[in-house]
Amino acid sequence: MPAAINEIIACVFILAGTAFSLVAAVGIVRMPDLFTRMQAAAKTGTLGVGCTILAVAIYYADPGVATLAALVILFLFLTNPIAAHMIARAGYFAGVPIWEHTVVDELKGQYDKQTHTLKASDGTGALSDPDASGPGPQPPASEP
Amino acid sequence: MRIFIANLMLAFLWALMTGEFTVGSLGVGFVFGYVLLWFIQPLIGKSVYFAKMIQIISFLIFFIKELIVANLRVAWHVVTPSSFFKPGIVAVPLEEQSDLEATLLANVLTLTPGSFSVDISADRRTLYVHVMDVDDPEETRWELKEQYEKRLLEVLR
Amino acid sequence: MTLLLADFDLVGFVSTLSMNVMAVAMLFSLVRLFRGPSVPDRVIALDLIAALSVGIIAIYSIGNDEPMLLRAGIVVALVVFIGTVAFAMFVEKRGRE
Repeated sequence: MPAAINEIIACVFILAGTAFSLVAAVGIVRMPDLFTRMQAAAKTGTLGVGCTILAVAIYYADPGVATLAALVILFLFLTNPIAAHMIARAGYFAGVPIWEHTVVDELKGQYDKQTHTLKASDGTGALSDPDASGPGPQPPASEP
Repeated sequence: MRIFIANLMLAFLWALMTGEFTVGSLGVGFVFGYVLLWFIQPLIGKSVYFAKMIQIISFLIFFIKELIVANLRVAWHVVTPSSFFKPGIVAVPLEEQSDLEATLLANVLTLTPGSFSVDISADRRTLYVHVMDVDDPEETRWELKEQYEKRLLEVLR
Repeated sequence: MTLLLADFDLVGFVSTLSMNVMAVAMLFSLVRLFRGPSVPDRVIALDLIAALSVGIIAIYSIGNDEPMLLRAGIVVALVVFIGTVAFAMFVEKRGRE
């Protein structure tokens, strides 16, 4: 018997999920600093696992399994970005070095080390630098 | 909102009648309830609910599309040498919004192309976003606000 | 030809292949786990390993016809989220190492 249609779709989703997971893993090794690594891990990790879970739901085509799968996917999409965001925040606060070719860092100097609170940027999103008070594009703060 | 609750109750009723509580039966019940409420619209008065539903669905489609684009872009970044990157952290000024709205916005930004929310200021008016390709911080800021914040707030309000 | 196609076990083949690729992905994240210069780097590597294990559980559940395994996936995802948040708080309190 040739493969049923839901099996074929499930296989496509498994392959997509696996490919994205691999991209996440390679990205986490190859990217230069914590934040670019987080970009890779948070996006592709979430969609990769989401695809495999969706494949399970499609493969079994059973309402109970589908309910569970929907629950897992919903949970994954809510919590994964939050977890990533918490690590990024903690990493920045703890002073993990940001990549030297980073073009602009408007988060610099905005943290209050004592109270662990974060200031808002002033108005137009200009840097907290007193010189850079005027509106308009900021000159890129990159080092050669 | 009242109509939404009515719609949920109809979905619940449908699930009770079919005798199984699953995403499938609740979803089918919800769709039938929605159609039913649509038909009796002249009786219950016009509501934003019907327009809202369409907005939510179109936002979901937009989100899924963006999610796939984001993943393909990460894949692209992984294969290209890192000398092509121009990452940066940009401060995005936010509209006045509730905790839930801010959380959802941060999550959506994290999962969409090139952006990753790092932290939100204590007064919830500035979101600091790590962006993969910053050509011009002002433009990036404007783009994030236009593309995602505006759409999301449109759906949520 | 048709006979060959009929005998071909698509799901079995795909799940074995994916399982192997997932194992390679896990090795890559292990590299980051050992090399990671800072604690947050290691935490994201662990987070990714957990996500990959959920994926592996899902693929295993398809390959071996055991839908109940999805529940194990839920548990892993839940516990890891709590663990990551706890780690993040720990890093924020103690600083970089």
